[in-house]
Amino acid sequence: MVYYLIICRSLTYAQRTSAVLERVGITAHIMRTPRAIAGEGCSHGVKVSQRRLPEALVALNRAGLSPKRVFIMEADGSYQEVRL
Amino acid sequence: MIYFDSAATTLQKPLAVAQVAAKAVNAYASPGRGGHPAAMAAAAVAYQCRVAAGELLGVSDPDRVIFTCNATHALNIAIASLVSPGDTVVVSGWEHNAVTRPLKALGAKVKVARGLLFDPQSILADFEMLVTPEVKCVICTQCSNVFGMVLPIEALAALCRDRGVPLIVDASQSAGCLPVDLEGWGAAFVAMPGHKGLYGPQGTGLLLCGADRAVKPLLLGGTGSASLSQEMPDFLPDRLEAGTHNIPGISGLLEGIRFVAKKRPEVILSHERKLLAMAREGLSQIPGVELFCDPLGQNQTGVLSLRIHTMDCEEAAQWLGDHAVAVRAGLHCAPLAHETVGTLDTGTVRLSFSAFNTPREVERFLNLMERMARKR
Repeated sequence: MVYYLIICRSLTYAQRTSAVLERVGITAHIMRTPRAIAGEGCSHGVKVSQRRLPEALVALNRAGLSPKRVFIMEADGSYQEVRL
Repeated sequence: MIYFDSAATTLQKPLAVAQVAAKAVNAYASPGRGGHPAAMAAAAVAYQCRVAAGELLGVSDPDRVIFTCNATHALNIAIASLVSPGDTVVVSGWEHNAVTRPLKALGAKVKVARGLLFDPQSILADFEMLVTPEVKCVICTQCSNVFGMVLPIEALAALCRDRGVPLIVDASQSAGCLPVDLEGWGAAFVAMPGHKGLYGPQGTGLLLCGADRAVKPLLLGGTGSASLSQEMPDFLPDRLEAGTHNIPGISGLLEGIRFVAKKRPEVILSHERKLLAMAREGLSQIPGVELFCDPLGQNQTGVLSLRIHTMDCEEAAQWLGDHAVAVRAGLHCAPLAHETVGTLDTGTVRLSFSAFNTPREVERFLNLMERMARKR
């Protein structure tokens, strides 16, 4: 399944991100960031479905939360960074 | 046992506190260390606790609710973040050693705003005089742990904002029974234990951090984030939370905070003040007992200090302990407060109530005190 991964600076930030999205009805699952895209080391991200990213970004913007980076997981399992 | 030592730690807790703490030992792992269910369950509890604490204590951003081991730990972080050797700091004359010892170790120049017991305006007037341009930081307890006196934090916070001086509030005796409002006050830091008025387990504490405040970690190590860097993360809460969290404690603290929020701090305060008024009335009939009470009752929580003129305070507390009443005697780790009031040589016997104490317990205590008086 193709999905977007919103990378967060900390676990708590990921939890805040997830809480904001869940409140507006977007399923948002917290997961460890895959090592290949983790950058500075261990981090957490929030997984949202491919079709919900635009409204997720709007909701996060309204809540004053800024994603560190956003990746899309392609069908072959690789990750591509999304320019926002 | 009648337990009147809640200013040290509340011994009677809501049932759920011990239940969830015990569950956490076997069911919850370490937040941020793994994506498996046990780690994520631990992370969820920690986050819920940050949110619940933030709602009760005036913090809109859960990132700025930091878990510590106790209030002393929280105060040490706050002081280390704001005070450098040689800095001038103003403290109230009612501070605990958790404030004065770190300042002494840092070599700070300390000015003391004493004021008079149960006279908040006099304390505020002293602060107004002492908070001058060279002052780097103001530290004030919201409530004296010895005398239960409520200090004028809201007005002091306004003074600090006007003069551009960061304020550290010690809410050790006030969190759970008085309004605590980090953002409303515009304080730099508010520190508190989890095991007193928030009814959590021992080994828990909170540090609330003001927005955009640089913080200095006391403990360095793993945070489960930014692991490639050999510097501590520059974001909260990770910057101040190295090492594995006390998840059983945090689970229990969450239940304690929920208990306080449901019951409401003002209701708990009112209950404790009723018990205090009852104790005061009874004790005032016993010859040789000196009470330290607010004449109006508005500036005192459920903490009452007393002296018995023909008996050492420690002996009195021991006698009460032998008769199944737990109180605390001595200097209560606050020699500065005793010095301010003039009780440094004798110490006091301190009663401190909680939401779980009853009028019947106060009656039994008063009967014992009458017996003690007859024996002297």
